[in-house]
Amino acid sequence: MGTPSNVIRVPRAPKTSYNPQRPLVKNTLLLNQVRHFREVEKTLPPEMRSGIDFESIKTEGDAAEYVRRITAVLHPQGAKVKKAT
Amino acid sequence: MSLGLDNLKHIVVLMMENRSFDHMLGALKGEDARINGLTGNESNLDTENEPARVQPNAEWQSQLDPDPNHHFPAVQKQLFYPAMGPPAAPNMQGFVQSYFDMQRDVNHSRKIMYYFTPEKLPVLTTLARSFAVFNGWFASIPGPTICNRAFAHYGTSFGSVTMDPFEIKKPIASIYDRMLNAGRTTKLYYFDQASSTMEVVNLLSNQPKVFGTYDQFLSDCKLGSLPDYSFIEPNYTDHEGDGGGELLASDQHPDHDVQEGEVFIAAVYNAIRQNPDVWKSTALLVVYDEHGGIYDHVAPPSCTPDGFTEGSNNDPFIAPVADTGTGYTFAFDRLGIRVPAVLISPWIRKSTVVPGSEDPANGRIFDHASIPRTVTDHFIDPAFAQRSWREKSAGTFLDLLSDTMRPDSDCPVFQVS
Repeated sequence: MGTPSNVIRVPRAPKTSYNPQRPLVKNTLLLNQVRHFREVEKTLPPEMRSGIDFESIKTEGDAAEYVRRITAVLHPQGAKVKKAT
Repeated sequence: MSLGLDNLKHIVVLMMENRSFDHMLGALKGEDARINGLTGNESNLDTENEPARVQPNAEWQSQLDPDPNHHFPAVQKQLFYPAMGPPAAPNMQGFVQSYFDMQRDVNHSRKIMYYFTPEKLPVLTTLARSFAVFNGWFASIPGPTICNRAFAHYGTSFGSVTMDPFEIKKPIASIYDRMLNAGRTTKLYYFDQASSTMEVVNLLSNQPKVFGTYDQFLSDCKLGSLPDYSFIEPNYTDHEGDGGGELLASDQHPDHDVQEGEVFIAAVYNAIRQNPDVWKSTALLVVYDEHGGIYDHVAPPSCTPDGFTEGSNNDPFIAPVADTGTGYTFAFDRLGIRVPAVLISPWIRKSTVVPGSEDPANGRIFDHASIPRTVTDHFIDPAFAQRSWREKSAGTFLDLLSDTMRPDSDCPVFQVS
């Protein structure tokens, strides 16, 4: 690794930046990502669907939970590996 | 062929979200005149006919709320105002007017001209200073995310200028399919399941095997098992981690905290940098999908229209009036607005600036179609035929690798605190 002269310090964002309650309507990218996941969910067998009412997805945190559930079906290999205790 | 190219085994692309070149890197012109950034005199007229100058007042968060409009009609206004579009030439005079449309607040609309000082972006500016920064890398379309990211994955958006899912038209295949069909290895790494991918309709739902997670990327770097080609998506949402804890979005999409994106870029770079075998055999491209409605002073150039040829049939891609929302069709014959792009490798000469349209003699133009073009040329076949017209005419960038590998002491390391 490099010498101290080429080490660049990078500050983290403050914890106050965290806001999963941010309204989804403020981010058209996430709105559309959720819409795309909804289209894919419609093609899944009923037993594999999320059970989440699409109209209830109002915040960034809601969107993340919905996307997580559909991704878990489409790509179960992406589940976080739990470390043995 | 250079020694750097001889050693190249991996290409990694990290695509961030929605920031223009001038917003992120424009201030670097003050320390290096070769960088086509800001003089400080650039301006737009606001809705009261007063000049709104660029100012070094960009903040990490809470400034670009609501998310600036960057759908096709809004970007046409940003490019051509007071004209409605071609045949007028783009003059980059409509950014403040366009942002005013969202909230009808004159003072707020002027913030679209704000740019970051380098000390606020220690990662991106250090990488730009230390490796190769592109003066002429543009979004592929003057429009939003999905159609622009499509150019990175397919070399075309198949005629789409919107956020809607698009239909893949054979014989064009994704870069991931091309790699697998050629016996190469490839992965599209998303951050985690709650963030996932923007390519769910076509790729994740049909080809889950090409996907991995960011944790797997870190592990692949550590173990030296990185695929030939990797594409990384940042975290798109503030959400709780699988094991608890608060995870901040790292995509830098307004109004997410830009600092967290800096941390993420640093982590991707460090993961590659910390394995000497991976470091000497990898080229990392950090690039933004589109400008997000934020000001840039460089007019996007015209380009080859899009479409593809199969046998003796030419099939042009034309976005219909119903999709453009402007009253006229779009033939994909103009690039989108300029975005930050930095190519990183120890084989790149220090402080390389790749000239763009400001240098008519030597300037080079790139867009996201340059990604599949370069990856296909390098790992598969430069004569690979089944590509869009735009990809066939896109620039490649691996000639920036030199014969000399820089020592570790000459390359930065990031320490997150």
